[in-house]
Amino acid sequence: MRALSRIDRHRGPGRLALKSETRLLLMVVASISSLVLSEPQALAVLVSFSALYAVAETKPKTLLIAYLFMAVMCSIALFFVWVLGFVFPLMRSSALSMAISPFMRLAVTMNAMLPLALNSRLTDLAMALGRLRLPGLIRLPLMVTIRFIPTILNDMIQLREAVGIRFRGRKGFLFWLRHPITWWRVFFQPLIVRLIRSADELAMAAELKGLEPNTDFGGQPQTFSGYDRLTMLLSALAMVLAGLVQIAIGSHWHA
Amino acid sequence: MATKKLTWNEIWNGRGLFETRELVTIGLFSAAAKASSIMLALIGGGMNPLTLILKSAVQSALLVVLLAKVPKSGTLTLSNAIGMLLSFLLMGQHVISFPAVLLGTITVELLAHFLGGLARRPWLAIPMIASSELLVRVINVGVSYLGVREQPGLLAMVLIVSAFSYLGILLGLAGGLKMTKELRRAGLIQD
Repeated sequence: MRALSRIDRHRGPGRLALKSETRLLLMVVASISSLVLSEPQALAVLVSFSALYAVAETKPKTLLIAYLFMAVMCSIALFFVWVLGFVFPLMRSSALSMAISPFMRLAVTMNAMLPLALNSRLTDLAMALGRLRLPGLIRLPLMVTIRFIPTILNDMIQLREAVGIRFRGRKGFLFWLRHPITWWRVFFQPLIVRLIRSADELAMAAELKGLEPNTDFGGQPQTFSGYDRLTMLLSALAMVLAGLVQIAIGSHWHA
Repeated sequence: MATKKLTWNEIWNGRGLFETRELVTIGLFSAAAKASSIMLALIGGGMNPLTLILKSAVQSALLVVLLAKVPKSGTLTLSNAIGMLLSFLLMGQHVISFPAVLLGTITVELLAHFLGGLARRPWLAIPMIASSELLVRVINVGVSYLGVREQPGLLAMVLIVSAFSYLGILLGLAGGLKMTKELRRAGLIQD
C-alpha cells in the first residue's frame, strides 16, 4: 500500500476524524435531499447545517478557495443565462431570483463533498468497501483500480519524460495540441501496450495466488465514534427541519 | 455431466460471469481512465474545451481496447459502474444519476447481446460505447435539469460541456478502433 500512501499524503484525517462511511452517507443524503427540496428557505436550512459540517472538517483557506471557485462557476452560468435572455426576453427579467435555489443546491453538495474529497484516505475508503459487502464483481476491480491509479500515473510521467527527450523538451500541452496524432502515437499507444502487459501479468499473479471475486478483503467491523453519531443525528435533524419548512411554505403558497 | 448448482453467495459475487483475470483487466483499465483524466487536468490547465475533448477521447479509446480485450456481455456496464463508484468515493459525484446510468448501460448491453454479442460481432463495441456514452450524458443533463429546474437557462453550460465531451468520445472511438487493429496484429489482443 506504499503507492496509496503517496496519494494519501495530502489527505489529513479531518478535525472530527469521522469514519469514511459517515462521510459517504452524508454525501448521499445531501445530494438527494437538496434535489427533492425546492423552496429557498428549506434549502437555506440544509446550507446552514452543511456549512457547519464543512467548517468543522475543512481548513478555512481551502473552504474559501472552494467558495471562490463556486462563485466563478455560478457567474459563468449566469452569464450564459444573460446571453440567452436576448433570445428569450422573459428569461432575462427573472434570471437572478430564479437562480437562488440551484446555487443553494450546489452549495449543499459542495459542503458535503469537501470533507469527503479532502479528508477521506483512499486506504480507509478501500477498507470501507470491504465492509460494505459489495458484490465481488465490483469489489475486486474497484480494489485494483484504487491500488493502481498511482502506479499508472507514474507510468504516464515516465512516458511524458520520454516524449520530452525525443522531441527536445517539447512535452507540454501546446505540443499535444499542435501534434495530436504524434502525441497519440508516442504517448498513448505505448501506454496502452504497457497497460495490456501489466493486466496480463497481474491477472496471472492474482490467479496463482488463488484470488477470486468472492475473496474477503478482511474489513474489520466498524465502531462509530461520538462525533460520527452526533454528525448523523444533526444531519437527520437538518433533513426533518428542512422538510417541515418545505411543507409549511409550500402549503402557504397554495393557500 | 452433472452441473453444480450455484449458491446465492456465488451468484452475488458474479461467479460464472467473469474470471479473475477479466476483472483485473477491467480494474486496470478503469484505473488508466481515472489516471489519464487526472494527468490531463493537471497538464491541460483544468476545465477548458480542448482538455475536455482530449479527456473524453482517451477514455473512449480505452473502452474500445477494453471491449476488444474482454469481449463479454457486462464488461461495459462493469467498467461504467467502477468509474462512477470511484468518482463517488473520491469526489461524491454521480450519486443521483448512478442507478439510471446503470440501467441504461444494461439496456444497451442487452440489445448488443440479442444482436449476437461482442464475442461474435466485435464491431458492436463502437455503437455500444457511442450509445451508452450518449445515454450517460442525456441522464446527466436530466439530473442537472432537476437541480436547476427553477432557472433552466443555467443548463446552457451543462449542455455545452456535454457536447464537447461527446465530440471527444466520437474522436476517441476512431482512434481506439485503429489502435485495436494494430494491437491485434501485434498479438497483444487475441481474436
